[in-house]
Order: sequence, then structure tokens, then C-alpha cells
Amino acid sequence: MAEEKQIEQHAVEKQEKGFHDDHHDHDHHDHHHGSFITTYVFSTDHKMIAKQYLITGIFMAVIGIFLSTLFRLQLAFPDTPFPFLEGLLGRWAPDGIIDPNFYLALVTMHGTFMVFFVLTAGLSGTFSNYLIPLQCGARDMASPFLNMLSYWFFAASCVIMIASLFVSTGPAAGSWVIYPPLSALPQAIPGSGVGMTMWLISMTLFIASSLMGGINYITTVLNLRTEGMTMMRMPLTIWAFFVTAILGVLSFPVLFSASLLLMFDRLLGTSFYLSDIFIGGELLHYSGGSPILFQHLFWFLGHPEVYIVLLPALGITSEVVSVNARKPIFGYKAMVLSILGIGVLSFIVWAHHMFVSGMNPFLGTVFMIFTLVIAVPSAIKAFNYIATLYKGNIHFTPAMLFAIGLVSFFITGGITGIFLGNAALDIPLHDTYFVTAHFHIVMGSASAFGLFAGVYHWFPKMFGRMMNRRLGYIHFWLTFIALYLVFFPMHYMGMGGVPRHYYSITAFNMFEGFMDIQVFITAAAIFGFLAQFFFLYNFFYSIFYGKKASANPWKANTLEWTTPRVPGHGNWPGDIPPVYRWPYDYSKPGIKEDYLPQHIPDQEVEYEEGYIIPEVDPKKIPVEIEKKEIEEG
Amino acid sequence: MEAQSLISIAQLLIGGIFILVLINLYLVVKLKEIDPFRNWKPHEINGALFVVFGIVGTIAAAISYMRWEELMLLVKFPASEHGEVIDSMFWITMAVALFVTLVTNALLFLFSWMYRSKPGRRAQFIPENNMLEIVWTAIPAVVLTALVGYGAYNWLKIFDDPPENAIHIEMNARQFDWTFRYPGPDEEFGNRSVSYINDGQGNTIGLNLEDPKGHDDIILASDLYLPVGVPVSFTIRSRDVLHSATLPHFRMKMDAVPGMPTNFWLTPTLTTEQMREETGNPDFVYEMSCQQICGGAHWNMRREVVVVTAEEYQKWLGEQKAFYTDWQEKFGEEQVPNPVLPDPKQIAEDPDGNNQEISMN
Repeated sequence: MAEEKQIEQHAVEKQEKGFHDDHHDHDHHDHHHGSFITTYVFSTDHKMIAKQYLITGIFMAVIGIFLSTLFRLQLAFPDTPFPFLEGLLGRWAPDGIIDPNFYLALVTMHGTFMVFFVLTAGLSGTFSNYLIPLQCGARDMASPFLNMLSYWFFAASCVIMIASLFVSTGPAAGSWVIYPPLSALPQAIPGSGVGMTMWLISMTLFIASSLMGGINYITTVLNLRTEGMTMMRMPLTIWAFFVTAILGVLSFPVLFSASLLLMFDRLLGTSFYLSDIFIGGELLHYSGGSPILFQHLFWFLGHPEVYIVLLPALGITSEVVSVNARKPIFGYKAMVLSILGIGVLSFIVWAHHMFVSGMNPFLGTVFMIFTLVIAVPSAIKAFNYIATLYKGNIHFTPAMLFAIGLVSFFITGGITGIFLGNAALDIPLHDTYFVTAHFHIVMGSASAFGLFAGVYHWFPKMFGRMMNRRLGYIHFWLTFIALYLVFFPMHYMGMGGVPRHYYSITAFNMFEGFMDIQVFITAAAIFGFLAQFFFLYNFFYSIFYGKKASANPWKANTLEWTTPRVPGHGNWPGDIPPVYRWPYDYSKPGIKEDYLPQHIPDQEVEYEEGYIIPEVDPKKIPVEIEKKEIEEG
Repeated sequence: MEAQSLISIAQLLIGGIFILVLINLYLVVKLKEIDPFRNWKPHEINGALFVVFGIVGTIAAAISYMRWEELMLLVKFPASEHGEVIDSMFWITMAVALFVTLVTNALLFLFSWMYRSKPGRRAQFIPENNMLEIVWTAIPAVVLTALVGYGAYNWLKIFDDPPENAIHIEMNARQFDWTFRYPGPDEEFGNRSVSYINDGQGNTIGLNLEDPKGHDDIILASDLYLPVGVPVSFTIRSRDVLHSATLPHFRMKMDAVPGMPTNFWLTPTLTTEQMREETGNPDFVYEMSCQQICGGAHWNMRREVVVVTAEEYQKWLGEQKAFYTDWQEKFGEEQVPNPVLPDPKQIAEDPDGNNQEISMN
């Protein structure tokens, strides 16, 4: 009897302490104390840097989404004065009606904030930093100092971009793709003055930050994996972050070249992108440049960028879906191959953004073929997610809801890519709301859901506390519904030919009829924006007052859950655990638990009808640990 | 006035949601014991909600499609020959897309419901199935190959050289309007260059006034006239920033790029009158817009497009005054027509202005 109790106690302890008691020998890693500055500000710890990225990303997201609600107001009520807008925007909204130039600036800043600062840095910066060392089994990044610099370059670029909102000529206003000559000539639009210069400086810092981060991620994944962690035993999250980092390192420098040449055209009077221009009543001296050249350079980054945004979200989803379906991810090898396939192909599809730019039509044919080829690995991924759910035992944690939502967005938004990637169909659909719908669903919403899934899933490890589940559910359902309500009707507007970037659609008979959709979308967008406050409240409240988490609350297999409740500097107090298997042994037949962590050696595996503690009801253990699990069995 | 009432509705909506938010926060965080949802089983609820979401969403999408269907001009009543082909491609692709979206989303939501966690359930260990992977790699690959093949064939046909009998019209974009140039009786355009632009004298496109070929060119900053059934080849130019010449009814879109003329050709199939009958809208007009962000009044670069019979077109064209004639009457005596030497680059170009390359890149 006493023995039984002892064994039970032992099992409980195992759960709480992250399994490897024999490593729990309190060596120096556990006691690393720094000053406030070195711990929270100029920290070199990858976990702190990840949190810095996350909180900065959330801050930028709030601004970015708020800007979108402002221009949505304009789109729905083009002639209606909103006095509060004058208070907020001053002379950019005389009498409460937004100025057309500032409308374009709002659109531009929304795009820039969301694509670069939220979904690139906020998503990949947070989770690559947090998970690569923890899931690979490393004490920290290969170069913690470079990692710290990466964050601070990013912070500086955020500050400059936000500051550009306040300059007297307004921020950059040529849309986030900043096509010259519009972005090169202050005569063409006020935003192409100081605002554009600040945009370019900010992006240069951002690119530097992204390169420092990317090199670190690649090096860490290649060199610092723990014993036994072969490439094919890595969680799919790491595969996704790894390929994302490679894409970033190869493509971001090209954006830097593009920006640098644009800077030369703007400041030194060179003619890389400009030719034969008569504007503002005078003939400019530019001759021989090509605006199309800029588009090629921009999209050489711009298209991989889409996958830089999407792949980490897909990686997170793979992990979350597998853990919460209590099933191995379906087709691990196929998933790895499709990540690699998407990575390679993403470099040779860029010109599908330029079918009707005046580029040689023959090139269009080539890019159309590669574009539709890239749909195949994407389809494989979607099918594999669905197959993972099949005959699973799905635990609907908030993270799981967001992961399922992501798959839905990935399908619904991805499928419209088949229209747009087909050059002939792109002729009418290009630059209409159909495009807006497509990329907001497949890139914006899906990646945002990846970010949410990641936050809900790894919050207990990041902060040692649980987020409120019910608020998570409310947040998910409101957001999921709102995003579909906002972006799905945009397909209809696109099929009606309504162009993007229009200050108002009332100037054309053919578009006027869509005003009621515009009002509907705006209401849904504001609704969706308000729903995010559930998340914000839950996030910040739970950091301080959330229920204390156990070391492995989701009963997951990967290495980060073997660390203490709040991992200290160096991550594991004792030795780094070695790895004996792939990370997806969920519900393996014959194994007692429905999960089998990577670090348990074969001889210590507890079998179902084995000899260790057959009398103990397996359900009793979770009862002690995680009361909520009772009701779910 | 209607907007005002809509605003009130929106404000009510937003206010209502906000109050709901506050109530929920209060309930969820502070008063757990009176929380009406405290006995709800999350797996049952969320699983069921996914199914409900799928069904309601599909119905809502179908109803809203019907509601706005008549406005979807890009997928009905094509007014050009290649537009009919593009529309048929659209609907073929739509059939595939609808099928895939509905089936996969349905499976996703159904599986979420069917395999929700229940006491005593254990997931089945299915790590992979190569046969399945091959099947769902091969099927999209085959379908996409078919779509790409059909698309590429049509794409190259659309951008093939215009037929011999095509008439030429030049579209000139600037911030923020369109000017059209018709070649006049000699069917050839006069030389032009940005360095000849003189807005004060109305020469907004930079016509070389010394080039005799240009003396009969008709330059109009008003509605675009097109003859039905005759191939029309457009040369598209911009003098400042990027624009995009978009005629949605004709399924035409092509960027206007400063320093590099671009081309597009099409054959209108329905006159404005015929389209009025077809759509049952007596006020119908074809419209042209700019769809490449170009500055503050980007949203307002509107021109009407008038499609008439070939005879009416010839008659209309004959009534128009050549730009040079008009210019001579107003400014001809004041100064020599062309004080600037022709731009050497321009001379190297095809003299009729319908140049050559689409892109050097």
C-alpha cells in the first residue's frame, strides 16, 4: 500500500518537474542573476528576446489594425463627417473627412505594419527565438549577442516607422509595395517626401534585424541540436522556422538593394527606376530607368515574404494540431518535403504579381506555371492537417481552435490563388478586392491565427501561467467569424471589378452598388477589432494573475516541456536531455500514456499492460495535475 | 441621409458589442459562480460550433452571392472577344475551387465534431499513408496542369500580335486623367516625346508639332470611342507615375509605365446600346478606371467608353478636329511650333509610336 502511494507520488512529481529528476541537480545554469537592464532590456536570453518581439509585435498590431478601422470608416461612409477624426488626425481630416492622400497613407502604413512588423517580426521573431533553442535542445542561440542586436535594430525600425506617422507631409503613401515613380517623387504625392525617406530608413534597419535573426536561427538549427536530434526528428515548427530563416536571408538583401537604388533616385538624382517624366509642370531630368525593374526587385523579396509570414504559422499549426488531436501529424515526411518545396518554389514565382505590369507576356507564362506548381505542396499540407484530425481525440484548447481556423483560412484563401495565379484570369481580377480578399485570408488571417495559436499554446511556458480558456474561446469565435465576414464579401466586390486603394467607390456607376457591402465590412472590421481586446486583456492579465501552469500542461512530446515551469537562463537546470525519437508519438499503441516524450529512453517507456504500475488508474494522474482535464477525460 | 441612418445602426451595433464585451469580462473573470456557461463542455460546444459555422457560413455566402450577383460585372456580360474566353475560364476554375473549398472545409469541420475528445476515447495512431499522399499530390497536380495549360494558351493568344485590320488608339495617362489619341485619316501617329509637352497650349501628350504625320492626329481628353467588331490595338503611356488602363467590361487591364509604352488589343462585341438591352439598364455606360495606385485622386480617374457600330465610329471620327489644326488656330502665329530638338531616343523608336518592346526586363 505504502509502496503504491510512493509510486503515485513519484508519478505526480514526474509530471510537475518535467520528468528528468536525475538531471535536477541545481548547477550554475539555474542561478544566473543579472541587473534589471541585462535581464529585461538588453537581454541576450533568447526567451526574453522572444517576449520582447512578441510584445512589440502586439503593440504594432494594435496600431496597424486601428489604422485599418480608420480607413474602413472612410470607405463605408465617404461623405460623412466624423468629428472625432479631426480631433485625432488634425488637418489630415478637415471637418472630420479623411484627406485622400492621407487615406492612401493609412492603407500604406496598415500594410507595412502588418506585413513586416507584426507577421514577420512579431510571428517569426517571437517563435523562432523562443522555440528553436528549446525544441532543438540548446542553451541559447548560436550568437546571443547578435540576437539581442537583432531585436534592438527591430525596435529602432519600429520607432522610426511610427515617427513617420507624425511628419508634416505624412507617412509613406504609395501602398506597402512603394512602386516608383509614385514613391520617388514628392511632387506626385505628399507622402513621398520625408515620410518615404523614413520608410526606407526604417526598412533598412528592419532588414538588418531580420538578417541577424535569420543567420542565428539557421546556425542554431544546424549546429546546436541536442544529442539524438537528427534533422528528421525535429518538430515541424523548427523545420518551418529553419526554411523561413533561409528564405529571409536570401531575399531580404534584395529588398535592401531595391530600397538603396530608390534612395539614390530620390536623393542623388540617379535614374534607376525613372524615365521620361513630366510632373508638376516641369520635365524631370530622369532618363533610361525602368519602374518595372523595381517591381522585379521588390517582388523577389515580396513573394518569399508571403511564405516568410505563412510558413511559421503553418509550422506552429502542425505542432498544435498534433498535440491537441493526440495523434501524430499525418505524413511527417510529406510535410517536411512540402515545406522545402514551398521554400524553393517561392523564389521563382515573384512575377505573378506583375502579369499586367507591362512585363513581357512570355515571362508571364513561365511564372504562371511555377505559381500553380506551388499550389501542390500547399494542398498537400492542407490535406495532411485534415488527415491528422481523422480518428483523433481532439482537445479544443484555444490554441487548437486557432489552428483549425488557420487551416480553414489556408484552404479558403489559398484556393483563390488559383484564379489570380492564372495570368489570363488575372487580367480582370488584378488589383481588385478579389486580391485583397485572397491575401488577407491566406496570408493575413491565417498567419495571425498562427500567431494566436502559438501564443495560447506556449504561453504557459513563456510566463509559467495559463491564459483563461473561456476568454480564449470567446476571442476565437468572435475573431473567426469577424474575419470571414470582413474578407469573404470582398470576393464579391472583386468579381464586381471594384479596385483596391480607392478612396471612395462612388465615382463610378459600376461600383456604386457595392456601398452596402462596404458598410457591412466596416461594421464587421470594427467588431473584429473590438474582439481583440478579449485577447489583450487575457494576455496581460494572465501574465501576472493567471492560474499557475504545470511544466507540461498540454502533455506534449517536445523538449521545451521538459524544462522547469519557468525555464531559467540556460533552459535546463541540469544536462540537456538527449532525444530518442521523433516528436509525434501520440496515442502510440501499447504505450500507457497517450504521449511519449522525445527524451524518454526506450527502456524507461511505460507500456500499457506492463509491469510498472498496472493498478494505478491512469486517469488519476492528470486529476492531480490539471483539474480541467477531468471533464474532458 | 441614408449614410446617416447606416451610421446610427453601426454605432448601435458597436455600442452593443462593447457592452456585451464588458458584461462578459465581468461574468467570466469576476463572478465564476454565477457564470451561466460554467457547465458547458468545451469539446462538445466547440466541435458543434464548427459544424454550425460551416453550414451557416455556406448558406450566408450563397444568399449574399445572390444578393450582389447582378453587380458582378467581371463574371457576366463580357463585352470583348477574349473576355468571353476569360469568363469561361473563370467559371471552370470556380467549379474546381468551390468543390475543393466546400469538401475540404466540410471535412475539417466535420472531423472536428466527430473526433472531439470524450471520456475514454483514444486517438488512432496513423502516422502516414504513402498511397494517400501520392493520390492527393497527383490529383491537384493533374487538375492544375489542365488549368495552367488552358490559361497559358489563352494568355498567349490574348497577347498575340493584333490582327492586320486593327485600328490604333493611344491612351495617355497622367495625374489624374486619360487623354486618347486617334491617328486620323493617315492611320499613323505623329512622333511624340515628353520633352514636347506644353500643358498651356493643350499639348498634354507631347506631340511633335513638326512631324507631318501628327498633323491629323486627334487628341481628346473625353469619352473613349470604340467601334464594335473591329480589333482595337491600344498603346498605353504615362507621363508621370504608374497608372493602369482598366476597362472591366472588356476584361482589359494594362499598366501605363512612364518611359515604356505598353500594348493591349481587344475586339469589342457589344455596343453600348446592345449592352443596355442585355443588362436591362437604360442608363448603362461602359466605364474606364485606373487600377494602379497613382496618388490622391486615383479613385476618380474616370472616363466613359462609348462603343458604336463601325460606321458610326467613322462618322464620329470624321467630325473631330485634328489637334494640330486647333493648335494652329490658337497659337500657330505666336511662335514656331517646336522649339525643342527631337529627343534622340524618340527618333530611334518606331515612328508611328506603337513601339516594339513590352519590356526589357
